[in-house]
This record gives sequence, structure tokens and C-alpha cells, in this order.
Amino acid sequence: MSTTAKRRRRETYQWREAVAGYLFILPWLIGLAVFTVLSMGWSLRLSFQHYDLATATGTSAGLDNYRQLVGNPRVATALGNTFTYALMAVPVDICFALLLAMLLSHQRRFTGPFRVIYYLPKMTPPVATAAVFLLLLNGQYGAINRFLGWFGVDGPTWLVDPHWVKVSIVIMTLWAVGGTTVILLAALQNVPRELYESAQVDGANGLAQFLRITVPMISPTLFFLVITNTIGALQVFDQAYLLFYRDGNAAAPDAALFYGVYLYQQAFQQFNFGLAAAMSWLLFAILMVITAVQLKLGNRFVHYEGGNR
Amino acid sequence: MSGIRQVDRRGSSTPVRGGDRVGAGRLAVLGVAGAIGLSVVLAACNPAASRPEAGSTGSSTAASGSSTGPFTKQPNGSLRISGFNPSDEVGKSRSDYAASQSAGVKVSQDTTNFDPQKFTAQVASGNVPDLIQADRAIIATLADKKLVMPLDQCYSVWGVKPTEQYYPAAIDDLTYQGKVYGIPQFFQASIIIGNDTVLGQHGLKVSDLDTSDPEGLVKAAATMTKKQGNKLTTEGFEGDIPGSAALWLKVFGGGMYDKDGKPTLDTPENEKALTFMKQLSDAQGGYATIKSFKDAQDVFGDNNAYVANQVGAQVWAQWYVNVLTNTKDKVKISGQVIKDNQGKPLGFAGGSAFAIPSKAKNPSAACAWAVNATSTKAWDAAAQARLQTVKEKKGLFTGLFTGSPVADQQIRSAYVKPTGNAGFDQTIETTYAALENTVSTGSSPVGQQASNALSNAVQSALTGSASPSAALKRAQSTAMEAWAQSAAGKGK
Repeated sequence: MSTTAKRRRRETYQWREAVAGYLFILPWLIGLAVFTVLSMGWSLRLSFQHYDLATATGTSAGLDNYRQLVGNPRVATALGNTFTYALMAVPVDICFALLLAMLLSHQRRFTGPFRVIYYLPKMTPPVATAAVFLLLLNGQYGAINRFLGWFGVDGPTWLVDPHWVKVSIVIMTLWAVGGTTVILLAALQNVPRELYESAQVDGANGLAQFLRITVPMISPTLFFLVITNTIGALQVFDQAYLLFYRDGNAAAPDAALFYGVYLYQQAFQQFNFGLAAAMSWLLFAILMVITAVQLKLGNRFVHYEGGNR
Repeated sequence: MSGIRQVDRRGSSTPVRGGDRVGAGRLAVLGVAGAIGLSVVLAACNPAASRPEAGSTGSSTAASGSSTGPFTKQPNGSLRISGFNPSDEVGKSRSDYAASQSAGVKVSQDTTNFDPQKFTAQVASGNVPDLIQADRAIIATLADKKLVMPLDQCYSVWGVKPTEQYYPAAIDDLTYQGKVYGIPQFFQASIIIGNDTVLGQHGLKVSDLDTSDPEGLVKAAATMTKKQGNKLTTEGFEGDIPGSAALWLKVFGGGMYDKDGKPTLDTPENEKALTFMKQLSDAQGGYATIKSFKDAQDVFGDNNAYVANQVGAQVWAQWYVNVLTNTKDKVKISGQVIKDNQGKPLGFAGGSAFAIPSKAKNPSAACAWAVNATSTKAWDAAAQARLQTVKEKKGLFTGLFTGSPVADQQIRSAYVKPTGNAGFDQTIETTYAALENTVSTGSSPVGQQASNALSNAVQSALTGSASPSAALKRAQSTAMEAWAQSAAGKGK
């Protein structure tokens, strides 16, 4: 067989393989196009319109919806609350997950059951979790305050006191830390044992090993989690809605007004779809900027085994 | 412990809560953006969504320009109902009766609560239910957005005079820009349900809890309140604040809206009402303490606040009397009407209503079903079914409080008999007395936003983060921002 024929056969094979690959992912691509890209495109268009649901028509609004966002103090309140929550939730979530992951990685017996137990809360529906936390966080009779009471600490009214509202959601978020824990556990298990053995030979203690070996070696994973958890935290909705808006009366209305909640109210209580779409795109833009900054700054602290990216 | 259950003491269904929706998974903000976009995509892909409905009996009648609009008295075809759940004997018997009156109509029901998010998608796709059940507070908002149709002609076809068949206050709640947009279901007025055990311990009777005497009420509440350390063990008088804040505005001669539905939250009367709410709250330990205490109570269980003597008296809608019948041997209750500042009884209630979406394919069948399901005969069937259940469970029949004064009086004279429990009998009589002067919340295209704003103001004032005056001014400003977005606010 000539070289040309061999090359043609190889190219045909590769082409067939590529077609097969694309066919396999075609259902997902259709889903992405219809339910994500097209919808986002329409919502972008919507953000520049006054949309009338009754007639399914939109009239041009120019930048009106975006101007309203700038002049609306509740948008600023909602953004402030959401950022404050994210600043608390992301580090606490990752640190707690790392602690659990390290405990699990040192576990020699019953590792499987322990991993299942830690991951199980992640599978619990948010409504059920919120129902439990409404009781746990009750200011008078909640288990958390009873626990604090054993140490002479008079716990706050978590769900009413504006100063503790966001902390209470952070506590509830920790319940579902299993997903982050599993990712970190996988990262920890990929750290070569030889590095620790060498460090021990050199006399490094546990803390030094953690700071000099563990953290750098799992830094790509930590970086990934910081980015994804930040995005998730800025989109917080269900915890806030269930803890504070379940009966329509938020006990701490200003402190519990998160961006996602306000967006929902605009869209589905006031039917201001143009404004709600503009809110979505404002948040999208903010997330893009934050992610870009994180990528720019974060890469300096991330250790890649193959060299810096 | 069932304190976490969602409880609306006014008897309203929950207009926009989203528990079910949230339960389906995390709703990311961009998901909402996608949902909005997707709804519009669906609308764009569905030409039927933006043109008048065709093919239904009703629509063809409408096209002919008949004075009955899209409604006829001989419905046929299929009927999709959303938000009505005939899970108990009252709902089932009414549903059965309504279906029996429209024999040629095939009825299907989505029994989940009205969900505006789902409704939005349905409207955008042109696939709306023919009949929805939603909180009365949201109907004017839907009307303002032209998402539901006026029902004056529906009433007319069936020869029903709304303000005679239904409580005028309930009809007022559903009237927007001179047209009636809904058919009310229940009108379960709020009353004070006293716990005679606690009241008696302090030498009080429920009649001493007079809302036309705010100072006396605060004093009585403080007298009955008990604390252990900084924890409440008995709350003297639970005013259902902020849930019944609109009721307290009425007590003080205020209200939420003017006759056009424009918010009027920062009036002097409302400020007086909010000042009272704060005094009442502070006299019993403050808002945070009371809220935590209430959240931990077993509202529906065998150890409810009356059994456990956790409360001296509470403002509740009538249905809670029914709940208390489950523990009738353990509680001693009595009732007292809520009065305005002139001493006149107030019959104030939230509640749900039926409405017909503008794009409903079969409005005739929807109208027929809703009118029949709220007719005197349907309520009579419901009362008989409830009596049967009560007999089987050896409970007490506390009356059935409907949206219709005609039905209420008929049921009262036919079925409400002395129960053998004087406290319950007196409480039942009190509920009927409250209905002698029903008052409307008022309807507004920004009903929900104004309610939220009022609720926020109340909580801000109660927690001390704003004075009543400042809190109400801010609430008014927020409500007016919403008003400016409404068609009514834009002068349309």
C-alpha cells in the first residue's frame, strides 16, 4: 500500500471517528444550543425591552432597564448582601471541606462508608435541609443555641437578627460541603507519598508538610473550587428563599435580600421580565470580571506540575 | 415539632412561595435568566400565543361580539384547572358538584399550588390552564398585566350578582379598574381565640382583649406574658404580626391602598397602627424573642400553643378553630371579634379566588365550573361531607366559612348546632359575628409588592432598626416604585 493510500485511510478513519464523536455529543450540543445559548441570547435581547407577557411582545427600552438597576437602592442592598455572604461562605466552605477531606484521607478503615456519610447531605433536597435548619437555628429552642448554652454562650437569634442572617446561611451551606470535600479528597490522594517521606526525612513537621507540600500540590484544585464556589455563592437563592421567604415575611428583610431573591421577585412577582433579565446580565458581567481577576491573580499562587500555565 | 410548617393565620393561600419549585433543585440566578429567555423563545416559536384563541366555544362566541363575551351557559370540550386541590372532603365534594353541572366537559386538574413561574412559562407557550386558583392579593397584579380576563360577563351569563352571592369585601379584593377579575372561595375572618386557662390565671376574660382599646390590650398582653430567663414561656397576646399587619392597619382606620389601588402605606393612621404593633411586641419580649418562640411551637399537633399554655390569646382565621377541635378535651377556648378603633367589629380575611387566564382556551367551561364550585349548592354538599367526616372522627362541626354569605347562613341554620362544648360554641358564634361587617384589603396591581413592603416595614420597626414613621415612608417609596412599573401607574 502506498503512503498516500495509507494517509487517506488514516484520514478517513479519523474523519469517521470525529463524526462519531460529534454524533455522540450531538444531543448535548442541541440541549446547550436551545436551552442555554439561545435562551441566554433571548434574555440579553429581553434586557433591552419592556416585555409584555400577555401579548408576547417586547418594545424597545434601550438602556432603561439597566438605568433602573443603577438607580435602585434595593439592587445595591441585594448586591452588598450577596457579596458579603460570598466573602464569608467561600473560604469557610473550602477550609471546612479541606479539613474533612484530610480527615478522610488519613482514615484507614471504613473509608467507603465515611465518604458516603459525608457526601449524603449533598443529596438532601434543599427544602428538607432548610426545614431542619429552621429548627436548629431557632433562637430560643434551637439545638445550636442549646449547644452554645453549655459553654455559657447566649446564642443569637440567627434567623431574625440582621447581623447573623448571613452567618446562618453559611452554616446551612456547610451542611452540603460533601461535594467540595470529595473533590479535595481526590486532589489529596494524588499528592505523591514520596514528597511527604522526603520531608519527614528532612525533619519537616506536620504543619510544614501541609503548607509546603499539600497546599501547593492541591492548589490547582483549590483554585478551581474558589472560582466555582464564588460563582455559586453569588447565585445564592434557595437557602435564602427557604430560610427567610418561605412564608413571604422575611424576618430580617434588608439583611436577607439577596440578589437572586430580588431577581426572582422582579421576574415572577412583578412580571418585570426586562428588568429581571437586565439583573441577570449585570450579575453575569460581575461574575465574568471576578473570574477574570481570580484567574489573573490566582495563577500566581497555583503550582502546576507541568510548569506555570 | 411542627413549628416549621408554613402557616398563614389569615387563611390565605401562598401566592408566590416557591417551596416546591426550590425543592426541585438549586435555582441559579442565570437559570432564572435562562427561564425568562426560554419563556420568550417559546412564545416566539408559538404563534398561537400572541393571537386570539380560536376553536373553543367561548372564543367563537366572543368573536361574534355577543354581550356575554367569551362565555356561554352550555360549555363543552376540555377544561384544565390549576391550583385547586380537592384533597379534603370540602374540596372534593365541590369539585364533584361542579363537574356534575358540566357533564359535557372533560376536567383535568393540576393540584399543585399556583406558581407564577410555571404560569409565566405556560402563558409564554400559549398553553395556559383554563382556570387558576390563586391568592386574591395577586389577582389585580395579573389583571394589570392583562394575564386574566374580567369576569363580569361570566357572572352575568349565570345570573349571579357578585356582591350578593359573595362577600362584598371579597369582591372588592378582586375588583380592578371597575371590573371583577375573580370568583372568591373562602372568607374566613380573623378573630381573637382566647386561651381561657391562661386568661383565667390572670383574672381576665377574652372580652377584656378589646382591640379598640390598644393600651388596655398591651397591658393585658404584658400581664399574661411569662418568661424564664430571657426565654418566653407564655406570650400574652399573639397579634399575628407581621402576617396580619394589614388587619391592624384597618383597626386603626388605615389601609394599604386608595380606591385605585395606589399604595398608601405611610398615612398617620398606619403609623399609629405600627406604633401599636411595636408596643405590643416590646411588652412581650420583643420581636426576635417572639418570632423564635412562635417558630418553635407545635401549631397543628397535640401539644399546640393552647394545650401547652404558650399563649393567652391569638389572632387566627376561623380555620384554626377546626385545628383546635383535635385537642378539644385539652383546651378551653373562647372567641372575641376584632374591632376597629370606633368599636365596630371587623370581618377581615385573606383567601383564594378562581380566575380565568386571558389566553384560556375554554373560558366558558372555566366560568361554569368556578361559578358552580362556589355556588350555594356546592357549599351545601361540602358542609354535608364535612359533617360526615366530623361524625366519623367524633369531632366538632365548627361551621363552614365560605366566600358566600348566602351559603354561610344556609349552612349555619341547617347544620351548626350546639357542640356540647360551650367554649367552642361561643367561638363559632364569634366568627359569625365577625362576618357582619366584612372589610376589604383592597385590590392593587402591586398587591404583593405592597404587602412585602409593609411586612418589611413592620419588621424593621419591631426590631428597632427604623422608627415606625421612617419604616412606613420607606415601604411607601418601595411600593410606589412598583406602582410606577404597573400599567395603572403608567396611566394605562
